[in-house]
Amino acid sequence: MRLGIVRGHMTLATAVESLRGKTLAILEPVTMENLRAKNGLAGGKALIAVDELGAATGQMVAFTEGREASNPFWPGAVPVDAYCSLIVESIDVERQEV
Amino acid sequence: MFLARIEGTVVATVKHSTLEACRFLVAQRIEADGSAAAEPLLVIDWLGASRGAAVMVSTDGDIAREKFGNTTPARMVVAGLVDQAQTPPAKGARA
Repeated sequence: MRLGIVRGHMTLATAVESLRGKTLAILEPVTMENLRAKNGLAGGKALIAVDELGAATGQMVAFTEGREASNPFWPGAVPVDAYCSLIVESIDVERQEV
Repeated sequence: MFLARIEGTVVATVKHSTLEACRFLVAQRIEADGSAAAEPLLVIDWLGASRGAAVMVSTDGDIAREKFGNTTPARMVVAGLVDQAQTPPAKGARA
């Protein structure tokens, strides 16, 4: 899983059947530099993930990528390649590389 | 699978129902020359890796599915704690 900050949400006007009603969050992945600095910045390339946890804009989440991202919808076949697995409450990393 | 260093811990109360009992760690992938990747990774650990430890991370979700059920989004798990890793000397370095 990578870490990302929720920058917004998205809805689709028309979508494949299996994606209807799913909440889509726009995530910006967090780099190690920004995570250490605890500056609220992310710095990665934005992507869209399905969110069933109700993460709010500005919250940090961890998201699964790849085939495993569609596991929560098993045995259905849903075209999901990024899925919010948890909302980060607190994170403890050293400010400097040790 | 790849080598990573444990950088810290994560607390999360809201998470996928299959991940309730998991321990989450922040890991940073280590390249062959010893440098670290730009983005941190969140890995699941049940072996007891400590901060600063070198671990081998597997990105295959099958072991997680076996442990947490078919609907788990878990993928990256600590597959082992590194005892010793021998790497070839970096370019330009004397053998």
